[in-house]
Amino acid sequence: MAERTPSLAEEARHLHACLFRTPLEAIAIARYEAANRELGVAASAVVTKVVARRLDAEAVELALRRRGSGGDLARRMQILCYLVEVRRDYLSEFINLESARGRAWAALAGAVLRSAWKRVKGEYLVRRHGLV
Amino acid sequence: MDWFDLIVVGSGPGATFAAYGARGRRILVLDVGHDAPACEELTGNAYELRGGRQDLFPSLIGERFESLRNLWKRPISLKLKSPYMSYIVRDWERMAPVAGESFEGAISLAKGGLANGWGAGVFRFTDRDLAGFPLTAAELRPYYDELTAHIGVCGANDDLAAYFERDEGLLPPLRLSSFFVELMERYERLQPLFQRERTAIGRSRLAVLTEPRDGRAAYGYGNLEFFKPHDPAIYTPAYTIDEMIRAGAIEYRSGRLVTRYRETEEGVEVHSRNLATGAEEVARGKKLLLGAGALNTARIVLESNGDYQTRLPALDNPMACIPFFRLSRIGERLAVQDTSLAQLNLVAEDAEWGEPLQASFYGTTGPLRSDILFSLPLSVRANLVWTKYVAPAMGLLMLFYPCRQSAESYVRLRPTGELEVQFAPEPPHAAERRLIRLLRKMGYVTSAAFIQRPGSGAGLHYAGTLPMRANPGRYETNAEGLLAGTARVYVVDGACFSRLPAKNLTFTIMANALRIGRRIGGLS
Repeated sequence: MAERTPSLAEEARHLHACLFRTPLEAIAIARYEAANRELGVAASAVVTKVVARRLDAEAVELALRRRGSGGDLARRMQILCYLVEVRRDYLSEFINLESARGRAWAALAGAVLRSAWKRVKGEYLVRRHGLV
Repeated sequence: MDWFDLIVVGSGPGATFAAYGARGRRILVLDVGHDAPACEELTGNAYELRGGRQDLFPSLIGERFESLRNLWKRPISLKLKSPYMSYIVRDWERMAPVAGESFEGAISLAKGGLANGWGAGVFRFTDRDLAGFPLTAAELRPYYDELTAHIGVCGANDDLAAYFERDEGLLPPLRLSSFFVELMERYERLQPLFQRERTAIGRSRLAVLTEPRDGRAAYGYGNLEFFKPHDPAIYTPAYTIDEMIRAGAIEYRSGRLVTRYRETEEGVEVHSRNLATGAEEVARGKKLLLGAGALNTARIVLESNGDYQTRLPALDNPMACIPFFRLSRIGERLAVQDTSLAQLNLVAEDAEWGEPLQASFYGTTGPLRSDILFSLPLSVRANLVWTKYVAPAMGLLMLFYPCRQSAESYVRLRPTGELEVQFAPEPPHAAERRLIRLLRKMGYVTSAAFIQRPGSGAGLHYAGTLPMRANPGRYETNAEGLLAGTARVYVVDGACFSRLPAKNLTFTIMANALRIGRRIGGLS
């Protein structure tokens, strides 16, 4: 069965939800759509599958990156990161504004574990959904 | 027909100071001359602005998504892609095209040239650095001194004075961040080790005002170097061009792309394309001073000779970027009142090269985190957490290697107008492991596995395409910058460098151009 192509707005919301807990603001969605138009971003079968099937984009991107592929998905996620990084509400996501050494070490350890889990999950998703 | 004493091509450091040295003559400057956009909204500190305003999208990303450039196009320096900085490299791929997918450099057609985005590093060349030049450090010294007084240079006569030469005209150095204060303390404690290793660390010499001067404000530690052009505290040749325009010392014609020249019995005809009308224009002068940058100057010379065969040499400093970490600083608050300019310099004598290597220390407050998120090995969200907490504990050591002529590094003009540019890749050298050992002895965590190697041409220190020789042959210049085989064509930019030591060449381009301008102008 042919995959329904999600809209850019759906794509933005899904990719964002894979990385951040807060909902994506309308202005960032509009900019994501505009960026895709301005940069002439071509359709990608992998991105379409990830979004249409609500797959974990962070996990899939890591698995594909380790295979030396997945550039289309990574670039779309990177666009989103750029668009939200310049918003005030995201400043503390990107920049450490308070000294918090204990919390930092815990977060770093958690991030390594998360990454390991995402790698396993990503490998499974890539194979299960034929993303290579 | 209008005749000028001198026609100067370009407005980068070479062209600017050649014209500056020849003031008093009737001088025409031909330049594409894209100017810096106004950006009053970026005033203060980058992080305070980001925390205070709902959104900095127009200033940091751009309505045309300029900051996303590296995602889809050939990557360029992070300093050249933000919306207000991208004018520095606007149109070069169309107007001054370079062939070769591996080229990760850039050419500037802006007023002031690539120096609008430079790191402001000021390095005097010593006699060792000038080996191969028909010039001595003593000949350049008065011009270095004059420039120091003109542009304002901060720094200190410390352990690096032996490599950078003493300079009595320095402004106080930049304030160090606490990360680099600690690094200097550790260096002082390990002096015997560093002396044995013939390696020294000291304050950066920068073309940055640490005190107000001549109507220019002192540096404000705003971390805006990646986003805002023309911080008045950071010198760019565009300031001197503007001064000369205001003073009536030059006639400045922007919107002109010089394509070629022709010598006549009376002087030189300079052909340019008027970018507004598309018409070809011809300017006439007694002498021509080429300062369009080492690559574009070579293009103009080859085009003027109708030469699509000859390979001219090309130089650019190879680099290796060594990240290092202080574990006890992980989780610290990021120091937002800081600078993304080089805080310290390191010089290491190196037996393999037979000359010193130079490196600059940087903090991590400059670029957006999204620039690096996808270059790290973990998943994206995990990378985000790591960059957030590790950035305050991280420094970057940017190691520069000297560059010598090699058959694999060249430029050649194609009949299509594209300049073929090739730089030989530089393999890793033992010096990197030596520096890593020293950093570890100082208590920093680092590894050869972390080293990043910027791509071909990414050094942006282009030079040596028409090198200066005591007895110049074809496509070489003499000590006055006169191009062999011509009577009136002078090269005043990095193209006439005989070699590149491991130092930023911009200050020496300025000094050499000032020297040549004075002599050609004949008013000294």
